[in-house]
Amino acid sequence: MMEITYDVFARKSRGDMLAHIGYIDALDDDTAKVYAWTTYSEENWFEMCVVPRSEIIPVNLTEGPFARNHGETS
Amino acid sequence: MTAGTVLDLKTLDTETRSALTRHILRLADSKRLLGIRYSDWNLGAPTVETGIAMSSMTQDEWGHARLLYAMLKELDIDPVEVEHERPAEEYANIGSVDEPFPDWAATVAGIVVVDGALYTAIAAFARGNLESARNRCAKMIAEEDFHISLGAAWYRRLASSSDEAKKLLREATDRFLPEALAWLGTDDGPARTLVDAGGTEPGADQVTTFRDYVRDVLAAGGVDVDAVEPATDEWDAERGRRPGHPDQDTIERARGDRNRALFVE
Repeated sequence: MMEITYDVFARKSRGDMLAHIGYIDALDDDTAKVYAWTTYSEENWFEMCVVPRSEIIPVNLTEGPFARNHGETS
Repeated sequence: MTAGTVLDLKTLDTETRSALTRHILRLADSKRLLGIRYSDWNLGAPTVETGIAMSSMTQDEWGHARLLYAMLKELDIDPVEVEHERPAEEYANIGSVDEPFPDWAATVAGIVVVDGALYTAIAAFARGNLESARNRCAKMIAEEDFHISLGAAWYRRLASSSDEAKKLLREATDRFLPEALAWLGTDDGPARTLVDAGGTEPGADQVTTFRDYVRDVLAAGGVDVDAVEPATDEWDAERGRRPGHPDQDTIERARGDRNRALFVE
């Protein structure tokens, strides 16, 4: 089954910084939203976002979970 | 129905009171049993994330059922007795959840068709003139939006996968759809009484809404929702469903029989 990795960002209150809280694998954007909301349900989040990991552009590291995208910024 | 008008439960005649009671039971019993069917997939769903989502949906359905049962208090009916004492033969749930969903494809069809019908019915109830329905159903609808997204995504995924998955999906959809159309489109005496009182919208209108909502999703599986007729044969007007009832094991789970000695309310 082809799944896409999405990174999950959230903040508890309006004034908080949006923080990376984890990731999920999903079929598409819609299921990513459901899986993120139900998987990371330990807080009453003010805001939550998901981003396909493939869309994250690494700035300085060439190793690590996001480094696969290194140099694919065209 | 006049916007802003509230149904006065103190002056309800016997017929309307009975129709409203039946309506609440049809919704609450369906949600309670659907929650049990979802719980069967908390473990064993295709991915860990899906299992977690099914667990969350299980809790949603049981929470909604409790809110709905609690509305019976307004009609001077003890919800504790209704939840924990009734025999299977009195359950007014949509027939599609009488039996467990046999496989993941049937579960996905159940989310789209059965949960979709329930979503439509709850939304219509929220637009009616019962104050507690207006207040409580909004939260249910917000939570159900996630169920809709998950069901539609999985339905499309299975509809474009293996022949076996497509076959199972189609069989389950063909099984659930006529039942859902009949249940949602109920137009018997009690249903008309409740519509006349402004408690909900006419069944035919709800069926139209439901067909619009599932048309594109089901088309992905080769199903033409507009060509399917409701299964209204042998209609049981007392419960507002077709004949049959959940099996004993399911009812014991629904009533919490095995925890009876620990029951705290």
